[in-house]
Amino acid sequence: MTDVVEFRDATKAFRGNPAFRNVNLTLRKGEVLALVGENGAGKSTLTKVLAGLYRLTSGELRLEGAPVQFASPAEALRCGVAMVFQETNLIPSMTVAQNIFLGAENFFNRLRGVNIAAQQHLQSLNFPVEPTALVSSLGAAKKQMVEIARAVHHKARIFIFDEPTATLTPEEKQHFFALIGTLKKQDASIIFISHALEEALTIADRIAVLRDGQLIVADDAKNFTRERIVQAMVGRQLTAQLYGGETARRRVRKRGEKVLALENVTMGKAVRGATLSVYAGQITGMFGLVGAGRTEMMKIAAGVLKRDFWHGGRIKLRGEPVRFRVPRQAVERGVAYVTEDRKLDGLFESMRMAQNVFLGRLAMGANPVAYVTMAEARRQSERWLDALNVRAIDKNAKVIELSGGNQQKIVVAKSLIQNPSLIIFDEPTRGVDVGAIAEIHHMIQSLADAGAAVVVISSYLPEILSLSDRILVARQGRIVEEMTVDEATEEKIMYAAVH
Amino acid sequence: MTNTPRSRRLASRLLGSQEGIVFVLAATAFVVFALALPGFATPGNLVSLVRSVSVLGILALGMAIVVIGRGIDVAMIATMVVSVSWAFVIARTGYPLAEALVIGGAFALVAGILIGALIAYGDVPPIFATLAAGSIIYGLGRTFFFTLEMQNVPPGNDWFDFIGKSRVLGVPVTVIAFAVLCALAHFALTSTRFGWQTYAMGSNPNTARTTGVPMRAMVIAHYALSALVAYVAGLILASSASAINARLYNSTMIYDILLVIVLGGIGLNGGAGRIRNVVLGTIFVGILLNGMTILDVPFTIQNLVKGVVLLLAIVFDSLVNPRDEQTSQQGDL
Ligand SMILES: Nc1ncnc2c1ncn2[C@@H]1O[C@H](COP(=O)(O)OP(=O)(O)OP(=O)(O)O)[C@@H](O)[C@H]1O
Ligand SMILES: [Mg+2]
Repeated sequence: MTDVVEFRDATKAFRGNPAFRNVNLTLRKGEVLALVGENGAGKSTLTKVLAGLYRLTSGELRLEGAPVQFASPAEALRCGVAMVFQETNLIPSMTVAQNIFLGAENFFNRLRGVNIAAQQHLQSLNFPVEPTALVSSLGAAKKQMVEIARAVHHKARIFIFDEPTATLTPEEKQHFFALIGTLKKQDASIIFISHALEEALTIADRIAVLRDGQLIVADDAKNFTRERIVQAMVGRQLTAQLYGGETARRRVRKRGEKVLALENVTMGKAVRGATLSVYAGQITGMFGLVGAGRTEMMKIAAGVLKRDFWHGGRIKLRGEPVRFRVPRQAVERGVAYVTEDRKLDGLFESMRMAQNVFLGRLAMGANPVAYVTMAEARRQSERWLDALNVRAIDKNAKVIELSGGNQQKIVVAKSLIQNPSLIIFDEPTRGVDVGAIAEIHHMIQSLADAGAAVVVISSYLPEILSLSDRILVARQGRIVEEMTVDEATEEKIMYAAVH
Repeated sequence: MTNTPRSRRLASRLLGSQEGIVFVLAATAFVVFALALPGFATPGNLVSLVRSVSVLGILALGMAIVVIGRGIDVAMIATMVVSVSWAFVIARTGYPLAEALVIGGAFALVAGILIGALIAYGDVPPIFATLAAGSIIYGLGRTFFFTLEMQNVPPGNDWFDFIGKSRVLGVPVTVIAFAVLCALAHFALTSTRFGWQTYAMGSNPNTARTTGVPMRAMVIAHYALSALVAYVAGLILASSASAINARLYNSTMIYDILLVIVLGGIGLNGGAGRIRNVVLGTIFVGILLNGMTILDVPFTIQNLVKGVVLLLAIVFDSLVNPRDEQTSQQGDL
């Protein structure tokens, strides 16, 4: 097999601090290379150099033996390198078809022609996405599909997927893996970044592990086990098994006061008569397939969305009927919603990390002329940044400069600092590394132990099963099943979610 | 690159940001005018230079706050001329000027609040809301409040001249007012809840909303503030000219404000920029306008020059800060 890509002694530094250094790594023709490592290890940055977003500070990047320096992603794409980003990167105001053909338009595009071509293209990939739909109307999973479709359409030979599976349901993941198989057969080379080590083990030919910006090991996948990867990633043995390795079931928390009650809540077509309750002192897990309306139900409860004005049902917070017009009203009453789409409404990317977290606290107060300083923001946010182990190249880093997993931790911290009594986590561990998942889970557990009412929305069954005391299953805008974790099995939950 | 000469590094630091570029351009323009125009670098001219742009600078302060919060207020000039003119008309009907001024201020405040409410509750894009509001305010004013374009300061109010015409320790009160308002605005933006939330709204309004920032109150406050700032600027203007001319509404003044904002480096997308950017932009525009006036450049040419400078600043900025490195958002196409 020939090397299509080679990093030689490659280093990329930001403001003098290396995101990765002295990396020597090759990508061979027709192979799938999995890139794994903790949050902030430098995976995204390494691949962004290949995709033409950054230039190396020192060292060399070779494409088929020849040194290259891409000035832009467009140039990289012309040379056959396509990247599907960690954060979706589509133009929301355009249709799916337009996005797929973006950058490859003919001078005159006939709209109908484009739509038909996109339809065929999407079908050949087995993606159930409507080409005429606006991207802004799509959920995370479908956006991901459009991104993948776009990369495939550009006939790239080298594909980079930065955490492609984080937003996909199990079924969609299978599609995705099948797609990777197809690409491989066509002799394309693939770099695949993931925090799900099982995925790396199953679909990769080779695995490369980065730690603190250094390449620790790159070897054939068959020579790896989960333990070996984890050890290379964190530099020590991680004994604590994630996700219910413990056979003895943990104690189920007793339900406290009923904090939130949705009665027959309806919002357009997404939520149709949802009825559910959330209790203090325990974790309520919400499972459902994409489009089941879980996110919408909880966004309504948190005032982010509004239920229908007529026949919209009722919502009670601690027994008192409420109708939030804006999230602020919910925040004032101790309700916090931790978004699933951090880029959309989770972060202030142009602001520093301490400012992001502190703004959570700040927004709760009323006096507009209250005196605020950066020092105060640092002091107050420090506790949460430490607790979640947020890592950046320096303390003043802006959020846009953080790695994906660390950005996710900022979103969580921004809500935790509000000290809510009802907190809704929507896919809280998306893009977070194995160690940090455990930390965030621990944090969620201790919130419930401290008496808060906690809701966790997750599309990952093991996460639901290992966290929740009580499980709600949503389907087609309703809650169709409720069970305690003792009664729950994966099969039962899946059955309720599908049928 | 360890052996970069110091000067090169300084140059790249200066030219590495729009602020730096504008600073260099302003300094260059200053030196060129100072060498080429005998009357330019005299203390008298410099003071009058700063004084002449103080009003523009004050207006830009109000605009800056709105723009940082991801809005824009093109109704400022209308609010300014109508509220001040109306105050003068009222005073001439027999009320003491001080009371009339309070009424004028209240009018500006109400206008700002209504504009803000239209944007906050009606979800109207700020540019359209304020464009429409501007012509409504102006139209109302010219129809119901006053008919003459030119409204003189009511006679017998010498104290009113103080703001626009007198000096304290040799510094024109106008300039002092600009400085004080700059300090206030700087404090408000950097050290108060209001300011931090303003930056947050500019950075990502969706996040600000979900986090619990009182968006509607904030938006209304922004436009109320800019209307009040416009009123103050109008008073200073009227005081120094002994009159206010409603024609200003049809002048290029609103574009000059935006020129100051953009040149100074306050991104029109919101969330970026500080008060020092307003000061920088004001001074640069001041040098430019003053130099051209001394040179007797015709008015239309002056506008052309302003336009070209604006364009250059934007192009230069995108050349020096290509969108691929640190500034990039994960590679937008
Ligand atoms: N534009 C930037 N400016 C400054 N620092 C940056 C920038 N981009 C990345 N970094 C830093 O470089 C390091 C590596 O980041 P990178 O995004 O490559 O991590 P990652 O391995 O992809 O992590 P994750 O799994 O969380 O996505 C981090 O410490 C990050 O803060
Ligand atoms: Mg990453």
